[in-house]
Amino acid sequence: MTTSTKKQAKGSSSSKTSKKPLRIVLVGVPASPGFAMGKVFPITNREISVVEETIPESRVTTEEQLFLKAVSKTAKEIGQIKEISETRTGVHDSLIFATHLMILQDPGLVNGVLEMVKKKHKTARWSVHVVLGNYIEKFEKINSPAMRDKAADLRDLYNRLMTALDDSGPVLEDVALEQGVVLAAHEIMPSMLIAIKPGQVSALVMDTGGRTSHVAILARSLQIPAVSGLRNVAAQVNAGDTIIVDGTGGMVIVNPDEEDIRKFHERQEVFERQRRELFTMRRLEPMTRDGKYITLHANIELPSEASKVTDFGATGIGLYRSEFLFFQKDAPTEDEQQAAYGEILETMSPCPVTIRTLDAGGDKLVAGLTAVNEANPFMGWRSIRVCLSREDIFCTQLRALLRANKSGNLRILLPMISGLNELRKAKAYIKRCADELKAEGAQVGNIKIGAMIEVPAAVMLVDLLAKEVDFFSIGTNDLIQFTLAVDRTNELITEMFQPHHPAILHMINRVVMAAHREGIPVAVCGEMSADPMSVLLLVGLGVDELSMTPWSVMATKKIIRSINYEDVRESALTVLQMDDSDNVNEYMHKKYAQTITDLGISSFVGQVDGK
Amino acid sequence: MIVKTLTVTNKLGVHARPAGMIVDITGPAKSDVSIIFDGSKANAKSILNVMMLAIPLGSEVKFEVDGEDEELVVQKLEQLFHDNFNEEAG
Repeated sequence: MTTSTKKQAKGSSSSKTSKKPLRIVLVGVPASPGFAMGKVFPITNREISVVEETIPESRVTTEEQLFLKAVSKTAKEIGQIKEISETRTGVHDSLIFATHLMILQDPGLVNGVLEMVKKKHKTARWSVHVVLGNYIEKFEKINSPAMRDKAADLRDLYNRLMTALDDSGPVLEDVALEQGVVLAAHEIMPSMLIAIKPGQVSALVMDTGGRTSHVAILARSLQIPAVSGLRNVAAQVNAGDTIIVDGTGGMVIVNPDEEDIRKFHERQEVFERQRRELFTMRRLEPMTRDGKYITLHANIELPSEASKVTDFGATGIGLYRSEFLFFQKDAPTEDEQQAAYGEILETMSPCPVTIRTLDAGGDKLVAGLTAVNEANPFMGWRSIRVCLSREDIFCTQLRALLRANKSGNLRILLPMISGLNELRKAKAYIKRCADELKAEGAQVGNIKIGAMIEVPAAVMLVDLLAKEVDFFSIGTNDLIQFTLAVDRTNELITEMFQPHHPAILHMINRVVMAAHREGIPVAVCGEMSADPMSVLLLVGLGVDELSMTPWSVMATKKIIRSINYEDVRESALTVLQMDDSDNVNEYMHKKYAQTITDLGISSFVGQVDGK
Repeated sequence: MIVKTLTVTNKLGVHARPAGMIVDITGPAKSDVSIIFDGSKANAKSILNVMMLAIPLGSEVKFEVDGEDEELVVQKLEQLFHDNFNEEAG
């Protein structure tokens, strides 16, 4: 029997309630900034205990009814989430719930469970466990990645059904009774987060996930503080425990003492004050004291985020990762893609919008599109390589992009470029699609085409690339990973992932010089562009544009407005002479830590000291 | 009973959404509908069964439709396959 459907978390309430509440401090990954204190509300994808139980004939009807009631309750719940998801994120994102509803009414599943109850005299819970468990096992074995992904959907359904069968467990709708609870779970599903009403939930804490998980991204766009990667928080808290969540620093305190609460109020006050102050900066120019203008753009994940971007003071979109469209749906059509891109482009017009073409592969698997069993997926069939060998998919996307570009503010960014051949091929496809559209009588607006600099080979050839594109965007995460030969997903060598390694700084310097010789701008759109010390180095090295999560834009603007370009330029040239990243960090810290601390943006950029 | 063989011509094959579209037709039908692919026969009213067949582009799929509305069901299925499930052709 499969156990993969079970979630860990053994310590449910009964064993602990008698004890005096224990103060526990846990450190995880800061997934969404902000501070909150509230009552813990555990979510029920905890251990689902099922035991094989034989029931007397007299209980068969009761168990059957119990199951059918659970099905209709679950269907109602999914229907509600579907509705909310339609209004919040659009019809495409909600398609998945239509499939869930259909599976829930599947005759094989429903009759299978009912038969097991009737003929084998088993409880409804055990029957669901066996019948749905069998389906999950079968889906996991199918030789098609798209179908294997459906096993996760079935597990989601399994958890919902089990919760509905177990009336004692808290379910989502109960949250409405309380305001500002802190959700604690082994794993929080995006569907759950989408269904939350404003004000219901003040923070999230989870055992799993990192900064870039879907839930973290959603939490940031909903502005709910969140800490992920806490490993075992779900097992250590009970419903109603008081919990403090520091989403900026990635820390959680369960059952805090008076001192903790006092400190929390202080920090929260600072956060709110800093937030108010930062919002007053929205309309100010991101210009250094000696007059150098640095363009600040925002990275977004959902088309609907575009409308909020300018509120944070960004003057464009520096990176829209188009693969998110492909995660939500197996293969978005040209019209569907055009609608999504058009929403962003029109909302932002006349500000520029950089849309990166499909960057699937590596750690971002798109069902049906990416190879699954590669030994080195990061160096495998991914990104532009997939696009160039799957002409159909690439041209569908390019046509959608060109058609959506009504006001001419589109910048197409080509990822993973490793040489001229790839760049020229990709540009030829763009030209072909544009010509086709013109022949069909469509108007094709102006576009800018840029190359992502993230493969060391591209840096070696950067002089040549600069002659053939309109802009560069440096993808620091991959550039660091490939240059330093450090797999960023490998926990054993996380310390070797050094953004300030002299090799990286020299590469950035080289890219900037080549670009400026040809008169084209250089953008940086990775995590690095939101780290205060990195911002100083990047500006000093001559980078023209920084793109980051919308929240970081205001804090970065404050940093830029406080510095002199001439000064950071000198610092950048100084560290370029250094031989290792420790020296670079020490130098920067000594020179700027106090300045950054004095800016009063600590709630948004994490701690500067402690290096 | 009508036996009808249809060819999958959409690029991505019968993934979750096309499977749902098939069940949209077979589910409410009065006829019994079976789907046969690659030696396996399954109840075509079950989205789980249809999805589990993981039918790729270019496959020939056999439907056995038996009941009072069998002609209408076959006609609708034919149209659905002909339209590539409203997706891109492969």
